[in-house]
Amino acid sequence: MSVKNKLKQVLIEDLNLEDLTPDMIEDDMALFGDGLGLDSLDAVELVVVVQKHFGVEIKDMDEGRPALQSISTLAKFIEEKQAQ
Amino acid sequence: MRLAIEGIGVTGGFGVGVDALRSALQAGTLSYQNLTVEHHDGAKDNFLACRATTEGLDRFLPKRELRRIDHFSKMSLYAAHLALEDAGLLDADLSRTGVVVATGYGPLKTTFNFLDSYLDFGYSCSSPTHFSNSVHNAAAAHVSMQLKLTAPNLTVTQFEMSVASALLSARQWLEEGRVDRVLFGAVDEYCEVLRYCRRYFFGGSEQGPMRPLALEAQTAMVGEGAAFMILTRDDGSAAYAAIDSMVLGNHSVAPVELPPATLIVAGADGHRECGRWYAETVNNRPVVACSPYYGSFPAAAGFDLVAAALMLRDKQLYAGPQDAGSGLSPSVDSVLLSGARLASLKFGPGGDYGLICLSR
Repeated sequence: MSVKNKLKQVLIEDLNLEDLTPDMIEDDMALFGDGLGLDSLDAVELVVVVQKHFGVEIKDMDEGRPALQSISTLAKFIEEKQAQ
Repeated sequence: MRLAIEGIGVTGGFGVGVDALRSALQAGTLSYQNLTVEHHDGAKDNFLACRATTEGLDRFLPKRELRRIDHFSKMSLYAAHLALEDAGLLDADLSRTGVVVATGYGPLKTTFNFLDSYLDFGYSCSSPTHFSNSVHNAAAAHVSMQLKLTAPNLTVTQFEMSVASALLSARQWLEEGRVDRVLFGAVDEYCEVLRYCRRYFFGGSEQGPMRPLALEAQTAMVGEGAAFMILTRDDGSAAYAAIDSMVLGNHSVAPVELPPATLIVAGADGHRECGRWYAETVNNRPVVACSPYYGSFPAAAGFDLVAAALMLRDKQLYAGPQDAGSGLSPSVDSVLLSGARLASLKFGPGGDYGLICLSR
């Protein structure tokens, strides 16, 4: 399974987005605000989700802000970290 | 000061809503689910339990708003909304409505989920959402936040005495005029760790039937649920019943004094260790126990209170399904006369008791 698809799946499961399916989450949809509608509490949970499921640590806001824009940016961040 | 019960909301093994509980009490219908817990060695533990549903809560709150709220708090939210609806207060000004919640165990499942995430993945991967939901006052907080209540909010935990103890605070708030109304709730939840503990400590297979008035037998069956009530200062026109008094103590230190000519709704729930205290105190008194309708858990005392209030409102004594032939209770006329008094009596294993007296 690709990182993007796995991300969509764990997002739905770990953030209890029961009203969504992976197909409904577009790769470039904004995770926060008008897009997926996540909030600051979800951001904290997302940091945990990424570390737990992908073994990648988001150390600070400088690193996290650009990574947590969309599925695409987060997947790219994870793949880069995993490659290091 | 007497308290009036103006509305009731419940979810438990019998179903959802006060009418579902009344129907079960009237018909003697018991609703248990077959549950299986699989252990790490593959062994399967089968037993019966009274589980509560939160299906239908989205009638009051959008699903999106519920996604970070666990089962424990959802049960509370559901029962709280149902109580307000029952009292016709869903759209009322609730600015002077306080929240008091009683729970014996708190949000067990979330607490153990949080501990598991800590043990499995370490501190940095422990879910913050699980942590925030694992604190005992999470349910009361969710109720206040979702209903936008800004008056005082309190959660009381004292195992079997939680309900009686919390009720003291509710009365105090009303007496002092700090609030005009209290959304009073009792809630506990089932989880697999609880099943493990019950099997370890009580040994029973929990296959039924639950016989609460067979006081020397261990017949408890695990339950869960939330019972909420709208309490106000009584002006003599309570929708259900009035709470006349509440007393807490320890029977071995200061023996409980049961009021005369009062029917006892015993909180007996099939635990042998607690049974002996009922045997000492309520023998030869008219007594019923309703725990088989919702199962055994500390906050079930709140359901006992609801059952007593229903009996007074309906002028009908709803005997528990296993009362007949218990040898404890003398025959009781099922029609309650006006002026009848009921008392909800709950004992803990060490002789702690809570006695709540009600009348119409």
